[in-house]
Amino acid sequence: MSVSIPILKDKARAVRMSCIQMAHDAHEGHLNGSLSCLDVLLVLFNNWLVIYPKDHRHPDRDRFIFSKGHACTGLYAVMAERDLIPRKLLAQYAQTDSPLPNHHCVHSLPQLEWSAGSLGHGLGVASGVALAMKRDGRKARSVVLLSDGECNEGSTWEAAMFAGAQKLDNLVAIVDYNRVQSTDFTDKLIGKIGLEEKFRAFGWNAVTIDGHDFEAIEGALNCAPLNQGLPCAIIAKTVAGKGVSFMENQVLWHYRTPSVEDLDRAKAELQAEAIY
Amino acid sequence: MRRAFSEILTQCAGEDDRLAFITGDLGFQVFTEFQKNYPERFINAGVAEAQMINTAAGMALEGWHPIAYSIASFATARPFEQIRYCVAYPKLPVVLVGAGRGYTYSTSGVSHHAGDDLGLMSILPGMTVVAPGDPNEMRHLFPQVLKLRTPVYFTVGRFGEPVYDSDEPIVLGKARLVRKGSGVAILSVAEMVHDAIKARENLEAQGLTPSVYQFHTIKPLDTTTLAHLAKSHQALIVVEEHVPSGGLWSAVCQWAATAPDSKCQLVRLGPPDAFILGNPKREELRSRYGFDSVSIAKRCQELMS
Repeated sequence: MSVSIPILKDKARAVRMSCIQMAHDAHEGHLNGSLSCLDVLLVLFNNWLVIYPKDHRHPDRDRFIFSKGHACTGLYAVMAERDLIPRKLLAQYAQTDSPLPNHHCVHSLPQLEWSAGSLGHGLGVASGVALAMKRDGRKARSVVLLSDGECNEGSTWEAAMFAGAQKLDNLVAIVDYNRVQSTDFTDKLIGKIGLEEKFRAFGWNAVTIDGHDFEAIEGALNCAPLNQGLPCAIIAKTVAGKGVSFMENQVLWHYRTPSVEDLDRAKAELQAEAIY
Repeated sequence: MRRAFSEILTQCAGEDDRLAFITGDLGFQVFTEFQKNYPERFINAGVAEAQMINTAAGMALEGWHPIAYSIASFATARPFEQIRYCVAYPKLPVVLVGAGRGYTYSTSGVSHHAGDDLGLMSILPGMTVVAPGDPNEMRHLFPQVLKLRTPVYFTVGRFGEPVYDSDEPIVLGKARLVRKGSGVAILSVAEMVHDAIKARENLEAQGLTPSVYQFHTIKPLDTTTLAHLAKSHQALIVVEEHVPSGGLWSAVCQWAATAPDSKCQLVRLGPPDAFILGNPKREELRSRYGFDSVSIAKRCQELMS
């Protein structure tokens, strides 16, 4: 059952507030990248990925790799909102021995496919998964969400080349193009040639969408693969720190965690409470 | 050893339909048989070692048993983080094969020297590290590491290495008695076993009979045999084609530091902590840095006289 756009919008405000609350409580987190990819995550988990909540290793599930590990508050909050993990677990974010460390880890949260934290591995591993599933004749998809900063890594482009050459049309890569990295703006660091053109040059089909437009996100996902035999890249143009005016497009909020005042201001702007 | 590897790989693929072979674009005309018999399971990642490892990791997640293959220096140092983060940390059943380790490619320059591969791989938690000494040892050990279903680094020599004789069975994790003797024990790793045997043969004429043990498994180290040797010999000579850190010498020293009442003298013969310049031939290199059969015999003589 597809979740409607007005409901997704309500969920988005609540999961955003949850991320901010988690970062505040734990004094850990990377809010820019967590808030920017939340709308994509909500569509994936609510309306698109084939998930088996009671059997997370089901062979027919879509394999989803969340490669931007620093943004895991977003992943945790969306999974909790979707009741894939208990909501009260969010209170344990980044605590010692918590199932929710500040870069996610499959050993502590087995519902995940893959750990992350070091950038530039997700696309390569997802391509190996996609190749294996093709060899096994599976219909499931290998889906990976990358940060734009990860596209600085050479290993991302080794993977892009491989996926193109192997014609992995069961592979969908979504780039959270929030244009802000850890210390500077992405476009300044990767040059003027856009990500869509880069992926196309590597033998992919690629589209650029507004990564906060639920209809556009679902539309792009539903079109994948755009062509038989080609892996599909969705460049989701997003806003770093999306949803909170004083965080948006600020490099500062890659690292900063919110104070009590920041928390109150965010709550007032989002008109929402954390879900835990 | 590489032909033998190709044969055993093809044989293992026949017994395990989840075995896949991923090359970093190396092994020209070596794996023709495998490729012919199992085209769907032969994958060339290109000159992209990071992708070779991450492809293997992804396939392992799906229940495959991938073998990733490249020249030892490129297989280990280049994609080190992929091995550490995407194979060792998730404990995936990937066997990484490094061909031509040590100074196999001594004349090709520092880029091709892999005098640090055993150390790089041993340092990773949960990694099994195996360096066979001849085609026979390789043929027996490869199926054993495949069965582990945990991360493995396995080395394969070049072409035409001789086979050495030993009555001892070839068991993963167990040092192999090559020549029984007394006084001094020579502990070899990988192809250094041949120089150790030759040294022993030269010494026999003088009535000296050092023991020779082959430590094909560096990690986990066979500390049971080590403890026995330390008790029964006055000195142990570790012979390795590896920098002083991270190889068999390091492993033996780590063990000895905590071994109770060990009064046995420990000696190392091997290359120095340096990049080897000048592109010497492998035999020249071993002689120059004092770890060829002549140097081994000389050191034994000094210790046994």
